[in-house]
Amino acid sequence: MRGIIIFTITTSICYLSLLLPFGMSTEQSSANRGRSELEAARLAVIGDFKVGLDKLSREIELYQQVAATEQVAQLRQQHAATREAFKRVEWLLEYIDPTAVKRFINGAPLPKTEPHVPAIVIIEPSGLQRLDELVWEEEPDFAAVRKMLNKLQREYADLQLYARNRRLQHRQLFEALRLEVVRIFTLGVSGFDTPASGLAMTENLATLLAIDHVYDYYAESVEEQDAILHRRIVTALRRGEELLSGADFNTFNRLTFLTEVINPLTSGLVDAQELLEVEFSAAARNPVNPRAKLLFGADWLNADVYAKLPLSDYEAARVELGRLLFFDPILSTNNQRACASCHLPEKAFTDGSARSLALDREGTILRNSPTLINSVFAEKFFYDLREERLDRQIKHVVHDSLEFATDFIEIVEKLSQSEEYVALFRAAYPENPDYMLSRYSVSDALGRFVKSLRAHNSPFDRMARGEAAADSEVAAGFNLFMGKAACGTCHFAPTFSGLVPPYFRESESEVLGVPATKVWENAQIDSDLGRLTNSKPGDEAYFHAFSFKTPTVRNAALTAPYMHNGVYAELEEVMDFYNRGGGAGIGSFVDHQTLPPDALELDTEEIGSLITFMEALTDTSGLTKTPIHLPEFSVAEWNGRRIGGEY
Amino acid sequence: MRTFYFLLGLMTLSAGAINAQLVFPTEIELPEGFAPTQVLMPGSPLDLQVLFIGGVDLVQTTPTYGNPAGVAVAKEWHDFIGFTPDDTGETMGWVTVNHESIYNDDRIGDGGGMTAFRVERDPITGLLNVVDQELSDGREGKFFNVDFVNTVGETGMNCGGISSVVDGRIWTAEEWFRGDNSAINNGVFSNNNALGAGPYGIGSSSNQGVRDTSEFTIDSPDFPAFDGMTIPKYQNFNWMVEIDPREATAIRKQYNWGRQGFEGGAITPDNKYVYLGVDATPGFWLRFVADTPGDFTQGDLQVYKHDADNKWISIGENDPEKLLNLSAEAVAVGATMYNRNEWVTVDPNTGDIYWTETGRDEPAGSWNDEAAAGAVFAPHHLARAIEQGVTGPDAEDYKDYYGRVLKYDAITEEVSVAIEGGPFFEVSPLEADYPEKHLSNPDGLSFMEIDGQSFLIICEDLNGDDHGRMPFENDNANGGLGNRLCELFLLDLSIEDAVVDDLIRITAVPLGAEITGAVVTPDGKSLLVNSQHPSGINPFPYNHSLTFAIHGFDELLVSNLTGPNGVPSETFSAYPNPTLQTVFLNDRQDVALYSQLGQRLRVYRNVSQIDVSQLAAGIYYLQNENGETIEIVKE
Repeated sequence: MRGIIIFTITTSICYLSLLLPFGMSTEQSSANRGRSELEAARLAVIGDFKVGLDKLSREIELYQQVAATEQVAQLRQQHAATREAFKRVEWLLEYIDPTAVKRFINGAPLPKTEPHVPAIVIIEPSGLQRLDELVWEEEPDFAAVRKMLNKLQREYADLQLYARNRRLQHRQLFEALRLEVVRIFTLGVSGFDTPASGLAMTENLATLLAIDHVYDYYAESVEEQDAILHRRIVTALRRGEELLSGADFNTFNRLTFLTEVINPLTSGLVDAQELLEVEFSAAARNPVNPRAKLLFGADWLNADVYAKLPLSDYEAARVELGRLLFFDPILSTNNQRACASCHLPEKAFTDGSARSLALDREGTILRNSPTLINSVFAEKFFYDLREERLDRQIKHVVHDSLEFATDFIEIVEKLSQSEEYVALFRAAYPENPDYMLSRYSVSDALGRFVKSLRAHNSPFDRMARGEAAADSEVAAGFNLFMGKAACGTCHFAPTFSGLVPPYFRESESEVLGVPATKVWENAQIDSDLGRLTNSKPGDEAYFHAFSFKTPTVRNAALTAPYMHNGVYAELEEVMDFYNRGGGAGIGSFVDHQTLPPDALELDTEEIGSLITFMEALTDTSGLTKTPIHLPEFSVAEWNGRRIGGEY
Repeated sequence: MRTFYFLLGLMTLSAGAINAQLVFPTEIELPEGFAPTQVLMPGSPLDLQVLFIGGVDLVQTTPTYGNPAGVAVAKEWHDFIGFTPDDTGETMGWVTVNHESIYNDDRIGDGGGMTAFRVERDPITGLLNVVDQELSDGREGKFFNVDFVNTVGETGMNCGGISSVVDGRIWTAEEWFRGDNSAINNGVFSNNNALGAGPYGIGSSSNQGVRDTSEFTIDSPDFPAFDGMTIPKYQNFNWMVEIDPREATAIRKQYNWGRQGFEGGAITPDNKYVYLGVDATPGFWLRFVADTPGDFTQGDLQVYKHDADNKWISIGENDPEKLLNLSAEAVAVGATMYNRNEWVTVDPNTGDIYWTETGRDEPAGSWNDEAAAGAVFAPHHLARAIEQGVTGPDAEDYKDYYGRVLKYDAITEEVSVAIEGGPFFEVSPLEADYPEKHLSNPDGLSFMEIDGQSFLIICEDLNGDDHGRMPFENDNANGGLGNRLCELFLLDLSIEDAVVDDLIRITAVPLGAEITGAVVTPDGKSLLVNSQHPSGINPFPYNHSLTFAIHGFDELLVSNLTGPNGVPSETFSAYPNPTLQTVFLNDRQDVALYSQLGQRLRVYRNVSQIDVSQLAAGIYYLQNENGETIEIVKE
């Protein structure tokens, strides 16, 4: 700042001749005044944040003191007070160092493996969520609580030091606010981070008040330029506070909360950021489009970031080529099986089998065929999370002796015997002639086709965006899904998959205790070890045994049978399984089951509503197009291949 | 107008006093005939050439597992690069590339692997050509799979290695220490599956590791103590392995250097000592002393103990029991413990050895038992623990987030910190230099000369993105999916007591690529580097593991690698550095970049330099918070 500090009124005037032509004229003097208001707002927000950080520090100290006295009631009270202090600064603390917050302060109470070390080291959970469990045990283990608090205190001290010295910008404050709004809805109102205490609604109110408090500083600047926008935001904040005050977890209307509070806030904050000419972060590499206004909008998540495929001028040609390849059995060793053999468009790209038929027509492959619609929205792919890149999923199918049983050398050799294919590859991949038809281009085209299979316009999406009137049965089901039935704490909104909000950069897997066969007592757990055996050395930890990727619930009406082994034919059966506490309720329990083992106590009517809600998530529109012709080959016997495969 | 003067003055004053952050208009109007200062940014004198694309290019294979010789798609996860100069003068030499993986392949062989190819410098274009070769085993082509299966047994997780500065001999290092057969197979789990599940294969041919887990009989007459010995298969992994790059075949597993999770090594210019990096906590600092220079089959394996009178303690080379259980031996002699040693390199001019200690966030649990059993902590860890106010490196809350580069002085036999990673704001970098300057978890390490001056090439490989390792100020740091950015830095070795502020970041690499394996060609013109697991959103082929060359280092002057000298100027001005593709500013400030049409492209906050390597050629405007404007022409 040295050079700038020296600037004075006099020197500024000297620069006037330079400045006038550019961006600053007399008529913009009101804008200048606006800017100093903005600056005051920023400084006030940062000042408050630092006060909040200190407050949390004191609450943790008090918590330690209370833990020393071994008074259960006070302990729980102080736990709540500490969490509330955290909730006041969460929006910005999470933004500044999300990894550290997750790791030490408020991460899920589950063990993890130490990242990026050449060994398996299991890190036991710590932080406020784990404390939530500990202090709400019938007889809290005070020694364990104290130990965890000491760690929390130390880690928080480090984090606080780092966080309070960051130079915070308007852009970052706006981004952090929007993240927090999304966090309230996707995690907060589902009770995600208060597993035992049930303090969710009180905390959500504290969080919303923190947002309100920050907006208040910017309010004048917004109102001056756009009073309607200002009113939209303030109305939403007030409405949210009203809905959350004294709210009951089970009866809280989450769809109303979404349309009347969350949507106006996410869109209002983007509008305000634009209005104030605050810059946006570069969109290209962020999973969440920085300018997207609605959580359930088609543009909320950036598919290109998930697909990890570079933007291309030849996108359309590549997608169409990918579609052809998807339906062409030439990719398999016997020229009879295509991707579409197990991913039928009319079944939302699943096949209706418990496990898909193997290449030899006798056995089956290992797992149930998952839907491909919206499958791009994931950090990792396959039920066992073994693949990080969409364009490489095909590799596993190609090599698998039960699927295509071939390799890319053979595939490329075959494809190059079709002039039609060669021309299509040349048109779609002209930049690197040497690799025009190669493992790369085949994988890339298929990856882009799968990326194109996206749908965001189900009846529920329209209700969620406020475009269609809420159906009361669907709304009731959604409310259960996000609340009492606790589905939304793993199948996160808006993808209703294991893609964790509000960053949407991690795909979770869960241990449910899915049985090998459909029995409701003394069940045996399916012997498939799932994530443990995905051949990623970093996943070789006991808690990944029987762990499977949390798939999307979207299009569930079309994707029966269910679970990784297709054990359940009907959604009612799936609900029955969860209602009993998963494997814990039917005998196929393992100690590290991540699904809470308690019965949900849902009645038939509630299960009916849940299914109605899931059925409202159906949308395959525009995605079921099948090619009418497959390219000709110079090898006569290859022509006459069946579109989509023989079987 | 008076009002305007007043407001403007107020604004600039407050800007100075409190580090204000102003908002830049989304659009500026460019009046006719307006002629701001123009700054020309020529294209980088460094340019890229792709040599070898993993997972796409084909390699020639030997008869393997009953399959005839043929071709296979090359493995990926490129890591170390070896360079073997061609003494015949016919070509420039042979390049060898490690594949850090464990998965099966019917033709290449299970486990990891290596690819070899030969390059020549094109006299006209100056580019490198991969030349056609015919090997004595009859294989013909450009890229060759190094045959391990039929020679020394499969290798796994081929990470770093040794590229000898003496004669270009090459060793590959087998990292990720394996403790039983299930850990090399990835298909049969009994290791830490607490449930005791039995044998289990997932029915897929592409997702398992080493399939043959039957006992392995060592056939290595060079090492009589090992020759003929039968060991569990997993114990034939985690050695240094010498290969012949000319014939693309393995020569021997270096059983006499002991079994460790090796990550890298270096041979001294006298061809007598081999220094070895072990990626573990504790990692021990090992060396092998050859009886006869250049013959590494006989000599003494030693471990470093900084607090002993005789700092190098012999482990011996003839006791397989000791060499197979090298860590236990090192603990028994009370050796010095480090926190994940990685690559090792030698300054051929001074004989000094450098190595990366990449760090591990919370090492306590990993080395407490060894400390209790007599191994000692490296002095810099003891000092850091005091600085952090904890009881020692064995304290639960001792943190080592950023790692460092260490230096071993062969004359004094002392180890010192060459550069400490960070942001440690109290020490380095200067708070004002962050986030441009930061160094986290250095991993790959190499040496090169530019303009007659010695430089270390340091490659990051981040262990995490918290605690400032991915500066959150970066536009993309938050909420990013796989946005971890690992960077390539140069460090001028003539700088005494180097700190993070002294690092020079080389931007001539694909965005988001994780750089490793850097090695310079003998003519000093080109740096060969690997991009190990780049983000898929790079354009092909930069979205694949690949080996590429950065050409043009021979034409650089040291002055090309630095920013402008002298005190910050009060006048808004910019200094282009084409080599670094960086525009340096007169002082730290907020600026906005506008397109030729006056559209705001990006706002940079609190910066003293801007990386323009990713900008397309064209005209841009840079405006500061006072509305002053500079025109930047990127060529």
